[in-house]
Amino acid sequence: MARKSILDLVSIPPAALTNAPGKNVIALNRMTFGVTSSELDHVNKNGLTGFIEDQLNPQEDDEKVNQKITSATLHIKYDAKEDKYPAVDEDRPLSLWNSTLDKLWPLADYKTNMAGQERSRPLEEVRVVSWIKAVYSRWQLRELLTEFWHNHFNVNPDKDTKIAVTFPIYDRDVIRKNCFGNFRMFLEDVAKSTSMQYYLDNASSKASPANENYARELFELHTLGSDNYYNSLYNRWREVPGAISGKPIGYIDEDVYEAARSFTGWTIADGATTGKGENFANTGSFHYHDGWHDNYQKRVLGVEFDPNQPPLADGNKVLDLVAFHPATAKHICQKLCRRLISDTPPSNVVKGATGVWIRNKDNPHQIRETVRYILLSKEITQGWGLKVKTPFELIASLLRVTEADFTPSSSLTGFMNQMGYLHYHWPTPTGHPDRADYWLSSSTMLSRWNLAYGLLNNQQNKLALYDFKAQMPAEFKTLAEGVNFWTERILQRAKPEEYTDALSKYLARGKSANLAVSTADLEKIIPSLIGILSMTPDFQLK
Amino acid sequence: MQRREFLVGCSAAIAAMAGSRITGYSFGHAGSPNGDIFIYIFLRGGCDGLNLVGPANDSSYVVERPPELRVTDSGDNAGLSLKNSLAGLDFRIHPKAAELKELYDSNALAVIHGAGLTNGTRSHFDAQDFIERGSLNDKNLSEGWFTRFLKSSSQPQNSMFRSLAISPVVPSSFLGSNTTVALTNVNDYKLHSDPRLADLLRTFYKGAQLIDEEANNTLNSIQYMGKQLSSANTGGPVDAAYLKKAGYLENNSFSRSLATLAQVIKMDVNLQVATVDYGGWDTHEHQTNIFNTLTEGLSKSLGAFYNDISGYQNRVTVLVMSEFGRRLRANKSGGTDHGHGNVMLALGGNVNGGKMYGTWPGLSNEQLDNNVDLAVTTDYRTVLSEVVVRRLRNPKLGYVFPGLTEYKPLNFLQGEDLPIDFSK
Repeated sequence: MARKSILDLVSIPPAALTNAPGKNVIALNRMTFGVTSSELDHVNKNGLTGFIEDQLNPQEDDEKVNQKITSATLHIKYDAKEDKYPAVDEDRPLSLWNSTLDKLWPLADYKTNMAGQERSRPLEEVRVVSWIKAVYSRWQLRELLTEFWHNHFNVNPDKDTKIAVTFPIYDRDVIRKNCFGNFRMFLEDVAKSTSMQYYLDNASSKASPANENYARELFELHTLGSDNYYNSLYNRWREVPGAISGKPIGYIDEDVYEAARSFTGWTIADGATTGKGENFANTGSFHYHDGWHDNYQKRVLGVEFDPNQPPLADGNKVLDLVAFHPATAKHICQKLCRRLISDTPPSNVVKGATGVWIRNKDNPHQIRETVRYILLSKEITQGWGLKVKTPFELIASLLRVTEADFTPSSSLTGFMNQMGYLHYHWPTPTGHPDRADYWLSSSTMLSRWNLAYGLLNNQQNKLALYDFKAQMPAEFKTLAEGVNFWTERILQRAKPEEYTDALSKYLARGKSANLAVSTADLEKIIPSLIGILSMTPDFQLK
Repeated sequence: MQRREFLVGCSAAIAAMAGSRITGYSFGHAGSPNGDIFIYIFLRGGCDGLNLVGPANDSSYVVERPPELRVTDSGDNAGLSLKNSLAGLDFRIHPKAAELKELYDSNALAVIHGAGLTNGTRSHFDAQDFIERGSLNDKNLSEGWFTRFLKSSSQPQNSMFRSLAISPVVPSSFLGSNTTVALTNVNDYKLHSDPRLADLLRTFYKGAQLIDEEANNTLNSIQYMGKQLSSANTGGPVDAAYLKKAGYLENNSFSRSLATLAQVIKMDVNLQVATVDYGGWDTHEHQTNIFNTLTEGLSKSLGAFYNDISGYQNRVTVLVMSEFGRRLRANKSGGTDHGHGNVMLALGGNVNGGKMYGTWPGLSNEQLDNNVDLAVTTDYRTVLSEVVVRRLRNPKLGYVFPGLTEYKPLNFLQGEDLPIDFSK
């Protein structure tokens, strides 16, 4: 005899599966790591515009975030190495996430005996702090843009230990510093950063032949974008439309080669030999070495560079050309709109944002002005379910909506990997794709379900504690009432009766959902209920 | 590894499996007319094919690269000679590829050189997008080439594990497929909760969005895998001890992926096409050590895998490729920049191995693509087409590879040709 399945018991009409939440919920899900009930109440009362303006001008983090960071620990464990260092196995507080280069750089020195875990610790700590801020910071838009720019200017510590060692500097003094700022300044900070210098090899690039890695990704990913790469023209620069008048609409391989020459000599003072019997200082900071620079004339994007320019001039000129190029404006505004609205963002918003970006090219708050334009567009409140939450959003939003007492741990990173989210470990300079088809495979779908459910129901991972009682009314008469309350609270919309009925029947295990239930019994069921809700399309999409 | 070990390993494994193979085979044939399994291995990052297989004493090769970035014909790290090479040159394979050399000598492995994407892009991501969509110039096609292959094959469509990615995410070659399964761990491919939840989830994912399709694909495949796991002896989980015992590298992601794939193959789930990625080949600097490690990983993993599937070698074809090769001339960082033509490897019981294929374009300045990179003389689609036609028995090349107008097999595979359909 066939097993009696839940399918025989319930049937939910399609309309009940896809009812959209309110406009403020739609908008808040786009500009935060998930809506909380208190934030939603605030916005419903005071309006969305004020919230957006507030978010565009973030202040210091509040006490809650500081307290969470202060009390956080991150486990560190390694075996002893004879005559080198003792074994360590401890829950250690965070001390490096906000540190300075002079304190961090010695961790990259292989002349000092040290376990690899000590060297990668700065990045691990930044990762913990990014979780705490995504879940608890009031400045949600700042956190979201920080994550956006970390992906746009992706680096991967697997390439070089120095990237992990200096990651707090990259996070604070490059990404966070500029995330609402001016793109030209941002680009230069990235170009000179220790992390990017090692990740894309410019630190070792010298005449000649130069190392092309950074220059290529500068055009292809950081600025103009590969849609404006005229590879079929290869070296026939005059044939790129607009090139003769000094305004080519895109780039070719020759531009990459010439830009790579322009950046020779841009390196890091890491104590390495100059190849001429001298050594650089060993500070870990940006350094220009003229002896490595290819000093002769160049042509980039149809613009001639004279030979023998002063230090840094060639590279800075390239940064000007790519930062102010109209294709860059379009490429980045397209990405911002895709991040903030949908995988296929409305072209009028992209176009409008591009205009704002170009008009504000010299404005120190260029990015803030552009993001404001996007967030104030009417499209920001329209259309639900147009994006799949990234795994980072999925987990952060679940922790936020349940008001969890959350303690990040390194096990979380492994869970995220299984969902395709390689937190500060994405291997290629593209950063994570921002498209539903990337996030959805049978393997990641399964992991999304298992982790979301496990976060509520698998207490041994110790990631979060919950106080459900404090969040609900004094008592419910029946299980069905409790299910209704929590469904609306987690999904932030009322669901039709057929929907909550299906949940109640499942949870009641054959008994009637309309029988009286004690608060204590209900409390036991809530983790299953929220676990299930977090697995539904209503929660997985935004 | 000695050649003899391959043969011994093979026969011993066949003997050990004799009991289960009869039913296994009849089941296995359902997925594909001749039960063939095609494994598509992508070396992400632009593998330096000139460092993997090169003409050791070619004068341009010697002049443009320091010895540590090429295969040499003498010294402690001399390359391993390949018989039946191209253009009468002394082609050698990298000394860390000893297992590949063994497979080549035993005629299981073929080497194709000067192959690749004829589109001149030097962008990793564009090149991968083109190749995985089976296109020369449209990186925005909504379907990968495997997806079109799956849709146009006349074979039974109902096998749950007909297409598989050994990866958390699905590569673009399967873009648009709503039946491809992705997994990284056979033994943990299940819901960690009340089994009734699977039924409940089905009621929530009844829409027509991508997420509904993927949710149902997930639910169907975990249900099927659950049944298989309860009836088949998978030998897993694939942990360090398992890898060691089967001759794989213990701390190598590629080894782990291939061991997992071998596990699925041996479950006889009607698998027809599978993808495995092996990343890290973008060696702009300090190439020597990185390349040695990656090549050793490639060689040892493939060697172990081929032994692991000894009962299935006559049904398996493995193809290894990368998005492009690397510049002939080394840069000043001890590395090589993005290039063009590259090497491809084919391994399997139906490969006419022990031979190099393709047309060697030469390495002198005027022979190079744009005077700088190894030219492409064999379109990558020519190589894939031969697999699709001769092994997977699908003649609809015009549909699978939009814009393809000719079929000129290199004859690196056994199998009969079919009347080709070039319509889109």
